[in-house]
Amino acid sequence: MEELILKLKKEIIEVLNLEDIKPEDIDANAPLFGAEGLGLDSIDALELIVLMEKNYGIKLQDPNQGKEIFKSINVMADYISKNRTK
Amino acid sequence: MKIVITGAGIVSAIGVGKAETLASLQAECSGIRPLRYLKTDHHEFPVGEVQLSNDEMCAILGIDPSKQPTTRTALMGMVALKEALEEAQLQAEDYPTIPLISGTTVGGMDKSELYYLDFLENDSRNEYIRTHDCGACTEMIADHFGRFGMLSTLSTACSSAANAVILGAELLRSGRAECVVVGGSECITKFHLNGFASLMILDREPCRPFDESRAGLNLGEGAAWLVLETEEHARRRKASSLACLAGYGNACDAFHQTATSADGEGPYLAMKQALKSAGITPAQVDYINAHGTGTGNNDISESTAIRRLFGEQIPPVSSTKAFTGHTTSASGTIEAVICLLAMQHNFLPVNLRFNNAGDCLTPVHKPTTKPLRHVLSNAFGFGGNDSALVLCNTDSTESTCNITTKQNRHIYLLSATQISAQEPLSEAWIDNPIPLIEPLTRSREADYKQFIPPLEARRMGLILKRAIATARTASAQAGIDIPEAIITGTGLGCIENTEIFLDALCRQGEDQMMPTRFMQSTHNTISSIVAINLHAHGYNATYAHNTVSFQSALLDSMLQLRRGAINNALVCAHDEMTHSYHALLCKGGYLKDKYATECAVSMMLSTENNGHALCEVADMRILYRPTEAEKQQALDELTLNSQFSILNSQLDLFGTNYTAPAIDLYAAAHLMKEKPVVVEYSDEKYYTLILLRPCSAC
Repeated sequence: MEELILKLKKEIIEVLNLEDIKPEDIDANAPLFGAEGLGLDSIDALELIVLMEKNYGIKLQDPNQGKEIFKSINVMADYISKNRTK
Repeated sequence: MKIVITGAGIVSAIGVGKAETLASLQAECSGIRPLRYLKTDHHEFPVGEVQLSNDEMCAILGIDPSKQPTTRTALMGMVALKEALEEAQLQAEDYPTIPLISGTTVGGMDKSELYYLDFLENDSRNEYIRTHDCGACTEMIADHFGRFGMLSTLSTACSSAANAVILGAELLRSGRAECVVVGGSECITKFHLNGFASLMILDREPCRPFDESRAGLNLGEGAAWLVLETEEHARRRKASSLACLAGYGNACDAFHQTATSADGEGPYLAMKQALKSAGITPAQVDYINAHGTGTGNNDISESTAIRRLFGEQIPPVSSTKAFTGHTTSASGTIEAVICLLAMQHNFLPVNLRFNNAGDCLTPVHKPTTKPLRHVLSNAFGFGGNDSALVLCNTDSTESTCNITTKQNRHIYLLSATQISAQEPLSEAWIDNPIPLIEPLTRSREADYKQFIPPLEARRMGLILKRAIATARTASAQAGIDIPEAIITGTGLGCIENTEIFLDALCRQGEDQMMPTRFMQSTHNTISSIVAINLHAHGYNATYAHNTVSFQSALLDSMLQLRRGAINNALVCAHDEMTHSYHALLCKGGYLKDKYATECAVSMMLSTENNGHALCEVADMRILYRPTEAEKQQALDELTLNSQFSILNSQLDLFGTNYTAPAIDLYAAAHLMKEKPVVVEYSDEKYYTLILLRPCSAC
């Protein structure tokens, strides 16, 4: 799981172009969206949906599903480990 | 002054021409069907396609497709324009005095996505490189009928055609024209079908605007045109009026690139302004043709905006997108023509497939006969480019496009700054010019960190960063924090992101979702991101008409400043160029033996001189394919034979690009001495003049 969490952090930094942030700066329990965490928005959520499909073979058809799944890196990693097809 | 509509033409998924459109509306016959004409893998999305192939449209128009390049957007535009011109009984000899203003975002993308790899790899489709941009599309539509006096193209995504109507009305009100032809055209392309799919706002079922179960929009396509003229002009030539354009509003939500704010601020302001300019109260509105796309976000925020403006007395509302699909850039005039038909035939178009409102307002869902005096038609676009039009019956006496005439207000250039091949945000080029030596020189970048927070900057292309940096600098220099209008000209828009999206689409296929790239590919991203950054909710527009993009933006600002609609305006010009797109333009014959560059210019115009104005912007002209005599006449009219010097393009310093005339104006303003200066631009199609006067002579 630790490995997946680190990989996920690196992928998110790359996909969302978070230039000044390093994996260790991201708290795996902190919210990804809103001012308290990374401060991501709805467009980032769409990019994360693309990331889930490309890298883990998970297809989300309803953007609202993302709200639950992208709560934090930990929640996301947990969902991926249970649902991944690649 | 009354503005009357004397001709209208329409083509959409529910019919070719007004008669078929009316029949479909009254029979509640939707045009949403499985994909038939567009070649794409995405057959899961139903669409509203015009039921004609390109060849069938060529046959209607008498065009031999083997002899001239055509695009679907241009063909649909011609089919609809033919109907409008015939109804208005305009003749080819009238056209040279008539401006034609179109709205499109897709332009020639249908052919670009088909031939993109050919563009890169061989010379078999070079003629279609030139048909890519929005302006080329407008030229093709207009040239099919004759030579119009002026052409321009609005590109504000889904409100483009509504904004074309607004510019047309402003031209009439200023006295610059007595008759204008305005409209929009847009075909469905793989490019934006995939783009909308990446934003996850397409419904896999026929769309259900305002319904609780709505799950997105269906893309549609089509074109519609209106012939507008002053009542006096129509009377003189004995043309009968179908209805009047009573008012209009344009505002910016300044909230998000692809979503509307929860309180619907932009839509609210646009509708409010439209009613005010028509001189009517909310209670006098008999019907609202809503933007009503069927997305979760639009319909609730539009409902909120309507509730805010109309309170307890909400007039009948419906979205006709359940009939036509979302015809994007053309929707503004397609829905205006639908409103016109509703007024002429006394009925309310039904909002198809509606069952439960949920949090939204309840639209018209049963056939209803009702005489209509005033109707409001909404068109909202990505980037919060929100517009609304008010049409009224010809016998309505309450409403007119009322003008508080202050036509002779002076216009001052308070500030102007640039990011180009020279030192950024500086006039260092006057003493220390940097020579251009490469065929393409990309701009010298400024330090953007001081203008844009890192979280916002991370997904902005360079063109957007330059836009914000120049806008903030010009605003600060002018001492105006929030401009009342932001108007941008851009020939190619965000071509870097467009190219990346197109490249992935053509090489890797249609499962490559790139929401951020798509979001940044529309031309109006620039103007709207500046509005978001400056919190500017005022008028916001984008012109994409190749070499007269900037001049169109400047003209728009001048019309509004002159008549006192606004007191200041941030006018911008932005074009970027990649090495790969540069190679295509060279192949297409655009940039023969020229030094290509990029352009970022922002300038603040105001009707009040704060004591530091660079000069006065006195007047301007835009001519399309003029004769030598017409050019001379324009110059004489502009200068009244007084002493002036002419400034030609500053090619050796700033190179060439679509919006280079903006750099010329910027340079002239900083270089000018005692004498007035005419900034002249000329190419094989366009001739433009801008007269600057030193403030000492104001």
